[in-house]
Amino acid sequence: MTSPTSTYAQAPVLQVRDIVKTYGGVTALSGVSLDLVAGEVHCLAGENGCGKSTLIKIISGAEKPDSGEIIIDGIAHTAMNPSAAIKSGIQVIYQDFSLFPNLSVAENIVLTAAVAERKRIYSRRVSRPSAKAIVDELGLTLDLDADVVNLSVADKQLTAICRALVHDARIIVMDEPTTALTHTEVERLFALVETLRGRGVALMFVSHKLDEVLAVSQRVTILRSGKHVITSPSSEFDRRSIAKHMTGRDINDARVVSTLAADTPIVLDVEALGLRGAYTDISFALRRGEILGLTGLLGSGRTEIAESLFGASPAEQGTVRVDGEVVSLRSIDNAIAAGIGYVPEDRLSQGLFMEKSIADNMIAGSLDSHRTRWGGLDTGKVRATIQRLFDRLHIKAPNVSAPVRSLSGGNAQRVVLAKWLANKPKILMLNGPTVGVDVGSKEEILDILRGEAAGGMSIIVISDDAPELVASCHRVLVIRQGHLVHTLEAEDITVNTILERMAE
Amino acid sequence: MNSKPTSGSTLTRFNDQVQDRTSAVISRIHVSHGAGRMVLLVLIAFTFFTALNPSVFLSLLNLQNIALASPEIGIIALAMMLAMLTGGIDLSLVSIANLSAIAMSTLYATVAADNPAMAEELMPVLILVGIAVGLVGGLINGFLISYVGITPILATLGTMQIYNGIAIAWTGGRTLYGSPESLTVIGQATVAGIPVLFVMFVLVAIAIGVVINKTPVGLKIQLQGANPIAARYSGINSHVVLMSTYVVAGLLGGLGGVFFLARNPTASADYGASYVLLVIVIAVLGGTNPNGGFATVSGVVLATLTLQIVSSGFTAIRLSSSEYAIAQGVILIVVMVADQVTWRRRRRRAPTRARVLASRT
Repeated sequence: MTSPTSTYAQAPVLQVRDIVKTYGGVTALSGVSLDLVAGEVHCLAGENGCGKSTLIKIISGAEKPDSGEIIIDGIAHTAMNPSAAIKSGIQVIYQDFSLFPNLSVAENIVLTAAVAERKRIYSRRVSRPSAKAIVDELGLTLDLDADVVNLSVADKQLTAICRALVHDARIIVMDEPTTALTHTEVERLFALVETLRGRGVALMFVSHKLDEVLAVSQRVTILRSGKHVITSPSSEFDRRSIAKHMTGRDINDARVVSTLAADTPIVLDVEALGLRGAYTDISFALRRGEILGLTGLLGSGRTEIAESLFGASPAEQGTVRVDGEVVSLRSIDNAIAAGIGYVPEDRLSQGLFMEKSIADNMIAGSLDSHRTRWGGLDTGKVRATIQRLFDRLHIKAPNVSAPVRSLSGGNAQRVVLAKWLANKPKILMLNGPTVGVDVGSKEEILDILRGEAAGGMSIIVISDDAPELVASCHRVLVIRQGHLVHTLEAEDITVNTILERMAE
Repeated sequence: MNSKPTSGSTLTRFNDQVQDRTSAVISRIHVSHGAGRMVLLVLIAFTFFTALNPSVFLSLLNLQNIALASPEIGIIALAMMLAMLTGGIDLSLVSIANLSAIAMSTLYATVAADNPAMAEELMPVLILVGIAVGLVGGLINGFLISYVGITPILATLGTMQIYNGIAIAWTGGRTLYGSPESLTVIGQATVAGIPVLFVMFVLVAIAIGVVINKTPVGLKIQLQGANPIAARYSGINSHVVLMSTYVVAGLLGGLGGVFFLARNPTASADYGASYVLLVIVIAVLGGTNPNGGFATVSGVVLATLTLQIVSSGFTAIRLSSSEYAIAQGVILIVVMVADQVTWRRRRRRAPTRARVLASRT
């Protein structure tokens, strides 16, 4: 490892040295070191479970390391506590932003600082200008009087960043800042990051999205299984090498798509589907064994189309045919009866029963097809189905009675997938099938989908992850403001065309 | 190993299977810790009162009394457990039971005024009437909660007032006397020293246990309680699940009314007024998660016994019913504190396991 201080004349504002952290007998971090320099964006990358979150928690003072030290402005600490970390100018912006939804933007920006200064009386008159000052200084367009609950994810994030700056943050750590942002919002965030760098803030980006890691950072540190792998200027990396360092093996993101015969029958035929306020005049056909991508920015209507086809929010106009027969999709029951399955966008709240066992989760969607003659559960059949899918999807868990809460993102997503495969749908729609899933699992999940498609299932992937669409889809439909604007086929399906067509 | 790959892999698979089964058994014990804990509590309560006043407490009469008083509370507690399993609650159960007992008693008294012999023969019909009252009560609750969409606590608070009001208006606030001789005989009969009512209670409990754990609808009830949104997205029809839950709860309430009348040939609108909260205490004590998704039938049965043992123990050592109420509260809170501690420990362990898995990846 090259010494970073030789490349950068400035002394680091924050250094962590040889941090070791174990939970029970498991080592989460073994001797990790890292420097943050003012005016620099440092990316911390790694697969889920590599120790990124633990390191953030140690820097923010939420966890104490077993050994090692945290050096701020040359003063070594063996551990931080949250209020000391804030006083030293460290601010962590977590994925959920920790905002108060019922308060206004201005109040959210100012209030925690007021509390930290132990002000006893909160004055709206005094606080609003200081919130406004920050917002103006950063050149943002934020409605200070709007309630946070009504904001878009991107605006919530801006609010959280402003709040960090009110605390005179010199070090800002952002945990997965772009997962919920669209292409344009990401660009806006990156522009803001540049402004912050100009102010001399040291930033740490925690991410497993390879493109943004390269786009935004000056240096990259990669962790794998709690160990420091490499720290180098980001110019020395490309997507492939980062992925290799993260997973420890070569990642194949080439386009792997089967050929469909010209006379492959159409399974799903959607004609002039419409829902007021969401989308209009959507028509497309899905063939047997086809993997169809449905893409667009957040709020483009891509999720609403899927939810309508699943009967969760029924369409108002149009007809849907499954195997040539017109089906009415007024409820989820209708959709399931028509052979349509749906892996929803929000895995934690819509897809999983977190405290229930893996087995219960896997069987949740197909209970009625596992009956005995007397109406009881056919335990033998249930066990066979669960074991088959558990092995087929390579779910990593000690056994099927472990609660789903104990699983990593990739394994949890496989459980949701298993729930639907147990139901043997003709058409399976997956919304963001690999969001929050590590690179290795991602590839495996796409492979599973290819396998199911080869077995005759028709699949719709709703996603804004362009590389994933390129890697797996026969065709990609681009939705913009509720309209189907492009249908990409064959060689047209590249990361660049998809991103361009989405954001045109 | 290399020379004999087949036998090696068979052995590995066999080893894996043994390990899987073992850990499955262990985790099952862990999950039903509600029951294990309750066995302990029953023993503690029993030993405690035996030590304090063995001659009275250990008498056959006292033990039979415990077994005789438990079923009517226990059966309503099971109904409460079902409602809580879906993440709801049913406050109207005791009112349903009273209304069922009153309907039976009134019908008996009316027929008996003209023809006592015929009224006596009507016993099986009366039982059906009692259960039918429960069915209607449960249907109304289920309709309000699943189709109209009223929060369970408010819907059943409303129906509790309605059912109770009907009972008062019907009886004029008086206590009704009258029930078929044969029903009272059943209520006092014993099999090998065990009251018949208690045997029936245990049979009902086993039936409920089978339904919850071994049938599709039972699992749907659990999943609905564990996460209603995920249940919806899994194609579980919440209308059907909630409706059937509250109907079964109502049926059990009606059966509770039959038990009331069998044990004691009187019926009144204010019988068992203290049961409303008591059955909530029992359900939660028995390991039911009030947020839904988790419950054990054996835990609820044992919790019923515990509270009955404490109740009769208090009588045996001549403490008042208000002191018994204090004891109920103390037991509930002590057990809840213990629960919090174990949950926290489990939570702390959970991320570690995730990390173990992650590190294997």
